[in-house]
Amino acid sequence: MATAPRAAAAPSYAKKFACAGELEQYRQALIERTDPAAPRILVCCGTGCKAVGSLDLLEAMKGAVSAAGAQVRVMPEIKRTGCHGFCSRGPLMSFQPENLFYQRVQPADAEEIVRETILGGKRVQKFLYTPPGSKEPIATVDEIPFFAKQTKLVLKRVGRIDPFDINDALVHGAYKGLVKALTEMTPAQVIEEIKTSRLRGRGGGGFPAGVKWESCAKQPGRHYIICNGDEGDPGAFMDASVMEGDPHAVIEGMAIAAYAIGSDRGFFYVRFEYPLAVQTLTRAIRQAEEMGLIGENVLGTRFTFKVSISTGAGAFVCGESSALMSSLEGKVGRPRPKYIRSTERGFRDSPSNLNNVETYANVPEIILRGGAWYTGIGTERSTGTKVFSLTGNVHNVGLVEVPMGSSLREIVYGIGGGIPNRKELKAVQTGGPSGGCIPIPKKFLDINVGFGRLAEIGSMMGSGGMIVMDENTCMVEVSRYFISFLVGESCGQCAPCREGLTRMKEILTRITRGEGRPGDVELLEEIGTFTNSFSLCGLGTSSANPVLSTIRYFREEYDAHIRDKKCPSGVCKPLFYYEIDPATCTGCGLCRVKCPAKAIAGEKKKPHTIHQDLCIKCMECYKNCKFTSIRIM
Amino acid sequence: MPEAQAICQEPEVDFTVLDRIIFDDYGGNREAMIMMMQAIQRQYRFLPEPALQYISQAIGIPLTKIYEVATFYASFSLVPKGRHIMHVCTGTACHLKGSGGLVQHVAARMGLDGGGTTPDLKFTLETVNCLGACAVSPVVVLDDRYYPKANVGQLNRLIEQIDTE
Amino acid sequence: MKVILDGKEVDAEAGRTILEVARANGVDIPTLCHVPALEPAAMCRLCTVELVEGRRSRLVTACNFPLRGEVEIKTDTPRLRKGRKVLIELLHTRCPDSVVLKELAERYGADLARFPDDNKDCVVCGLCVRVCERIGANVLALSGRGVEIRVNTSFGRTARHCIGCGACAQICPVEKIRIRDEEAERVVIVCGREAARIPLRPCSSCGKPFGPVIDLSLVMERAGEAQVPAFNLLVCPACSRRSHARRLAERHFEQYDIEPAPGGGAE
Ligand SMILES: Cc1cc2nc3c(=O)[nH]c(=O)nc-3n(C[C@H](O)[C@H](O)[C@H](O)COP(=O)(O)O)c2cc1C
Ligand code: SF4
Ligand code: FES
Ligand code: FES
Repeated sequence: MATAPRAAAAPSYAKKFACAGELEQYRQALIERTDPAAPRILVCCGTGCKAVGSLDLLEAMKGAVSAAGAQVRVMPEIKRTGCHGFCSRGPLMSFQPENLFYQRVQPADAEEIVRETILGGKRVQKFLYTPPGSKEPIATVDEIPFFAKQTKLVLKRVGRIDPFDINDALVHGAYKGLVKALTEMTPAQVIEEIKTSRLRGRGGGGFPAGVKWESCAKQPGRHYIICNGDEGDPGAFMDASVMEGDPHAVIEGMAIAAYAIGSDRGFFYVRFEYPLAVQTLTRAIRQAEEMGLIGENVLGTRFTFKVSISTGAGAFVCGESSALMSSLEGKVGRPRPKYIRSTERGFRDSPSNLNNVETYANVPEIILRGGAWYTGIGTERSTGTKVFSLTGNVHNVGLVEVPMGSSLREIVYGIGGGIPNRKELKAVQTGGPSGGCIPIPKKFLDINVGFGRLAEIGSMMGSGGMIVMDENTCMVEVSRYFISFLVGESCGQCAPCREGLTRMKEILTRITRGEGRPGDVELLEEIGTFTNSFSLCGLGTSSANPVLSTIRYFREEYDAHIRDKKCPSGVCKPLFYYEIDPATCTGCGLCRVKCPAKAIAGEKKKPHTIHQDLCIKCMECYKNCKFTSIRIM
Repeated sequence: MPEAQAICQEPEVDFTVLDRIIFDDYGGNREAMIMMMQAIQRQYRFLPEPALQYISQAIGIPLTKIYEVATFYASFSLVPKGRHIMHVCTGTACHLKGSGGLVQHVAARMGLDGGGTTPDLKFTLETVNCLGACAVSPVVVLDDRYYPKANVGQLNRLIEQIDTE
Repeated sequence: MKVILDGKEVDAEAGRTILEVARANGVDIPTLCHVPALEPAAMCRLCTVELVEGRRSRLVTACNFPLRGEVEIKTDTPRLRKGRKVLIELLHTRCPDSVVLKELAERYGADLARFPDDNKDCVVCGLCVRVCERIGANVLALSGRGVEIRVNTSFGRTARHCIGCGACAQICPVEKIRIRDEEAERVVIVCGREAARIPLRPCSSCGKPFGPVIDLSLVMERAGEAQVPAFNLLVCPACSRRSHARRLAERHFEQYDIEPAPGGGAE
């Protein structure tokens, strides 16, 4: 095992801190022991990189460094961190203090890296990142547009610290906000500060957090603080990355909320598909409790706050606040019909404050730097930053944090690096299954992303999933996909959601099969409008958005499917076929080799042809043709 | 309902294990029922009926309520799962990269109707909504191991390995 | 407190639901999943009405919306009629035979041929499950979720702990629950599937099976102080009536020296 110098040298914290002063002394001691110029290697072990083997890479690096032994002048500290954000380039690592960035590194490369970079001080070209369309590799994190164009507030420690080590978090400023709140502010002042910041909930609804806290604090009885880590939107992983990469930020935010509202008990509700988040949180809670940063009499004050974790069991609807609270009580997660705010009567019929992971993670900085400072970021109505998980047909897939009000162009092209394979950008989907598809080429590329503006154009902010779709995405199929997701995830208790979704799925399925009938679009609109207005909870009342927004902006695609029995994007298999354009086909033969169905024939240097009966429409030829000679018909 | 199968496969439920889960780990707390059920499912790879009856007695919740919970949450199963479990992500990012085709392919190869468990209890195919690894979509997880950017060829090899066991 | 109900100002007690106030004032809001004795679940959404507060208008369900301030309620706008029409059309696919739905279809001009019949059990209003829980028997459950949701028993098995009270059959708005007494058993059939079976108690007088054999402590507990006379537990209502009649006859007619009719129970 490699040595972890600072951990060994770190002062012990066998006892709880008796006051804030002791904590600050300890923090100071930690900082002094940390040499900013000492070499550190941060290996990303977030879920994305873990999936491509970064844990093996971490071990390989540790092994290779200790194998090099005495040759290494200053032993680098090799740290396991949360997500760096640039998930599509994993496994990846950065070298501190110079901020050198290596990507697509395999465990087998560890030895070479130790030899060349650590011992030799050289940059290995093949591990450097080269932006799309460029030949110049970029060496450091600060120069890579993907990182340079972001504003990291919530993610400031994610990917920079070892989430399993509270000392690391403390060195980087964790719990300073809590100390300030406890020692310098009254609960009312904390709430006032959050109200000043105009922080809005990041879970989707955008409700002002300060207003929510205030109304909860006013209620009599025992109060509960709950963190919504259910993150059910498929294709979104912001909250996961925060919980996995910087669990203390969330715990600290909850503790500050508890102090402000007058609560002594907090819960995390984390979806069970996130085992790593549960691990990091469990460890973080234990460490914070041992230090007396949460638990009984925090930092020697009268403030007591216990935190525990509950996991979901696989239900998207449990992200809805009242369903979440039922689930937390060990019951079926069906939304409650009561017309009463959960800040009045929620969990255990008591006043409960529920916020999203990212909402809480914003809190410590606001307390530290003040609400007014926070309003300087973002826009008038949507302050601060927002973390998006940028996925789909875009070069740089990963976690992106930008000020509210940034344009889609900035996010998709500036940070995301644009669309791969010389494809056209067609739409951006935000807000998950409750959101909508924003058509890009038409008018919305320069739209500012914030709560109000997205809702105006028929989508919503949602929790931050942003899925980029290129020209080969069929919007009818996308809406069928979301509706079919919701059919499986609706709790089924109320009739409009259950029956409306069933019918919409049926109609969309028949359209994508080429069996659509005239009037189907109007029928979809009628059912969708009904379901959106008559359903019980937020799932139902936004369930038709994917359908209604695609009809609004891509009506011609529906018509093509229904009237002409064609899928112009080449997705719905019964509705298109491939053809080779004889004018541009050079007869290179690549498609013939690639076709798994052996459906392509042709002589060398002569235009090839596709045997339609054999073609399984797998898209291999279309994807591989260098001369764009394969046409969707 | 493959009920007959469930009955002949019914494992011996060890009540001391249940007691440990219900009382030692969760203090008989009703609010922890979902987590107790998760622990039981980890133990047996499904929720055996006697175990649910036992919880009902132990913490005083009607069996109907427990049955509602067991059928509501996607992660619970009332029939035994296979020794190998494959999860194919069908989240949006994975869907756009063709995970639907992967599900169809594996289901067809294993003779399953869109998902489920093979009769010999060797293999279970399930879909999940986003595993948080969208950057390397489509993602397939077999027995807790991730297979990023999965394709048909790779899955065929994995299945062959299971077949030859 | 005053509220405006369909344009008329009416009195309303704070905390009452819109439905209660409407019914008290003779305004008929349709419902499917509501009975006054059970806590509202607002599952069918048929009772949706428009609530105007200041300049904002929103849709709420009348059965469970508690009135707290002076608001305006509209119970029969074009938007509501249109929504109810679609809702009835959708629910009808599940229960094409339901009389109640046909009547509602008539009232809202629903086109029942628009969607094909699915014949899926019932409209899942949840009343039977809620009443069963309320009675304390806990035989019925809402299992599954999404489209799969349905009224079920634990593990889909025939329940043996049913008390045969018949409340579920009584409460079902679409008549999908039947109770049948076979030979010596009472059978509860929910949406065509056998849900529960309870042996019937033979009358200690005539020997014919009558009420279900159940754990009476539950009934006693619910009945409170007023104890159920032990006699009624053993003898069927017919014999009980007969024996009562005889005792009456004996007492009243003795003086006239008339023989009571032969037959009747053993003493
Ligand atoms: C169907 C549905 C799913 C939801 N899923 C989530 C979720 O996964 N994560 C989340 O934070 N909020 C989710 N929400 C929003 C929550 O209900 C709630 O508004 C939010 O957690 C409040 O926190 P905030 O004010 O900090 O955003 C969901 C809402 C609905 C209706
Ligand atoms: S709208 Fe859908 S998810 Fe929400 S309560 Fe109704 S059925 Fe359940
Ligand atoms: S969509 Fe598959 S991992 Fe997110
Ligand atoms: S009666 Fe109100 S929702 Fe059913």
